[in-house]
Amino acid sequence: MSKTNDIMALLDAGIRAESLRQKSIANNIANIETPGYRRVEVKFEELLKKALDSNGAVDLSEFKPLIFQPNETPVKSNGNDVSLEVEVGEMVKNTLRHKAYIRLLNRKFSQFDLAINVR
Amino acid sequence: MQQMGVHGTYGPIDIAISGMRAQGKQMEVISSNVANARTTDAGKGEPYRRLEAMFKSDDGVSGVSLDEVVTDMSDFYQISDPGHPEADKYGYVLMPNVSVPIEMMNLTVATRAYQANAAILKRYQQMVETTLELLR
Repeated sequence: MSKTNDIMALLDAGIRAESLRQKSIANNIANIETPGYRRVEVKFEELLKKALDSNGAVDLSEFKPLIFQPNETPVKSNGNDVSLEVEVGEMVKNTLRHKAYIRLLNRKFSQFDLAINVR
Repeated sequence: MQQMGVHGTYGPIDIAISGMRAQGKQMEVISSNVANARTTDAGKGEPYRRLEAMFKSDDGVSGVSLDEVVTDMSDFYQISDPGHPEADKYGYVLMPNVSVPIEMMNLTVATRAYQANAAILKRYQQMVETTLELLR
């Protein structure tokens, strides 16, 4: 795999993780009053780091972010642990990350564009 | 996420969120005080005691979290109401040590503090977006 494809594959994996994260946040907010519901989170960056550290060649298209329940926030009286503030904060972070990835992808595309349209 | 240490780019976001959550708790305590401002029987043979939320912060740059909810041990108000079923032989009734005007003032403070934290969150978001503009 060439270096160029590597960047695209990394951004692709990142954007896929962000959209899954957005889904999990939406799910948490949708279940804010569901008795017994525990919030879910997406683990991606740590897994990616581990994968990149262990062996050089990682197939990023096969790389899957992980959904897990942190079970560490205090539970409300109805057994639910979703806090609207926390989810909004996660959403802000997610949006900023997403923006960064999209901008970088855009950069990459304009490089290709430059290479194709040399006059 | 729940850990309050500053980590990288998103430190200010976590701190602002911790502030918003703490003020939310504060509001919960205030609403309990206001709702029970005339509760003469809180189950222990005495009127409702005013609650107060105590906040704590870890060393260094970190967010805020709720330490504990303590009871206000100041004296109960005494009102003269001989017809009240819980009046003593002199016609006095013990009322909770809650003063509604003070609670309303605390509510305003909590609301403003919540808004301030939300403003920080928004402003920091704009700052990061400014940085991201450089990538265009």
